[in-house]
Amino acid sequence: MINSQMTLRGKTALVTGGRQGIGRAIVDRYVEEGARVMTCGRGPKPDNLPDEVLWATTDVSKPDEVAALCRRCQEDLGPLAVLVNNAGVQIEKSILDTTDEDWDLLMGVNARGTFLMCREMIPHMIARGSIVNIGSISGNTADPGLAIYNASKGFVHSLTRSIAVDHGPHIRCNAISPGWILTDMAEAAFAAAKDPIIAQKDALSRHPAGRMGKPEDIAKLALWLASDESDFATGQCYVIDGGLTAASPLNPGLF
Amino acid sequence: MANILSGKTAVVTGGEGGIGAAICQRFAAEGAQVVSADLRKNGDDKTGVEFREYDVTSETHAQELFQNLQAQWGALDILVNAAGIEIEQTIEETSLEDWNRIFAINVTGTFLTAKYAMPLMRKSDGASIINFGSYDGFIADPSLAAYCATKGAVHALTKAMACDHGPEGIRVNAVCPGFVDTPMLQSFFGSSGDIESLKQAVRDVHPTRTYGKPVDIANLVNWLASDEARYASGQLWVMDGGLTAQVQQMRL
Repeated sequence: MINSQMTLRGKTALVTGGRQGIGRAIVDRYVEEGARVMTCGRGPKPDNLPDEVLWATTDVSKPDEVAALCRRCQEDLGPLAVLVNNAGVQIEKSILDTTDEDWDLLMGVNARGTFLMCREMIPHMIARGSIVNIGSISGNTADPGLAIYNASKGFVHSLTRSIAVDHGPHIRCNAISPGWILTDMAEAAFAAAKDPIIAQKDALSRHPAGRMGKPEDIAKLALWLASDESDFATGQCYVIDGGLTAASPLNPGLF
Repeated sequence: MANILSGKTAVVTGGEGGIGAAICQRFAAEGAQVVSADLRKNGDDKTGVEFREYDVTSETHAQELFQNLQAQWGALDILVNAAGIEIEQTIEETSLEDWNRIFAINVTGTFLTAKYAMPLMRKSDGASIINFGSYDGFIADPSLAAYCATKGAVHALTKAMACDHGPEGIRVNAVCPGFVDTPMLQSFFGSSGDIESLKQAVRDVHPTRTYGKPVDIANLVNWLASDEARYASGQLWVMDGGLTAQVQQMRL
């Protein structure tokens, strides 16, 4: 449906954390749909990034680096239509094991990074510009041993609503809350399971969709939220998880 | 907090069931005059609880019950709509007759009882209605489709009633239990094979490592019924041992 034309032709988009995983899938899809895209990450430009994608080495937790990114974005892309705050880190600890350095790292990227990016970019966004934040189902209900990650995503959800309320109608702002997406991180978790086959089967049976998510699934929603098709959508956190959180954690079929 | 309901009058539909009976006993212990309204009496007389034969799907029963209580009490302070059934089927397996039956009991029963209780509740100095939702009104258990739908309806009805009747001094809340050890839960377990290992597995999924008892739900209903909760209205009170606070845990 959407493939029949270039949905984002002539639009400019800035995607944070575009090196790999969900961020990279969003970058690739936006490019495919005709957008001019800039992305960023903490290291150098990845070798396999298409030439037409602009790269700006940036740590989004640092105000001066975000300000520099904002200037580069204005110079090289011009007025911004779409901002995707995807950069995020995950630390697998309960709060008792979480150090101050862990807090600064995780909240610096997931929370302050999202705040800094929005504060810097909103004044330079076009009318009816669209901000897409990446939240998580873990911001609604808790994953064990991911305490401040869960909390940081709750922050993202709440900030999403505030931006929609404070900056509408000039800006639309929504969040995507992915469920389990098969990234390198998830593959590693399965590989380390006591019985990887049983673990995979168990995971699948919890998904009414019959499969786990792919980064491309999230990119599809990020495309719709960036497009004019979602003109009236703002202030929402859209869950896309293959039905995982529509089902009770007590699935008798699993026992 | 003994006698927190002293001087209050209360009707509990489904008052002979697992959770309903626990609520009746707690209300009586807290000093309320209690009517247990249910299809049939279950067990011996309970101290301070008066049984009335009552079918929540019958408009006539609702009219008669509250006409009688008008003469007997003059005002009603607490109504608990605890009558409910579940049907363990997908929508494809559910007959229209069963669909209509579960809606008649879980949803229409709540509506009819509250509708005819309203004139008596307006005469209370602090009226509280407690409906029975469920965590299944938010997320689905497999093969409980119609049940899940009725509980979603009760949640929406709870908010609507709270909006309409708040100005009249009537508070309306719903309690949304998770897994509670009742005959209904035993029936749910009964369809599986090894019940003991199933029960242990179910406990293990809860952050509290146990499922609830009727008295746990009665503790919450008691508070919502009391004047301690006088600012609480229009809310859906989930109580599930933390079950739905968590993302589903895959076994890695």
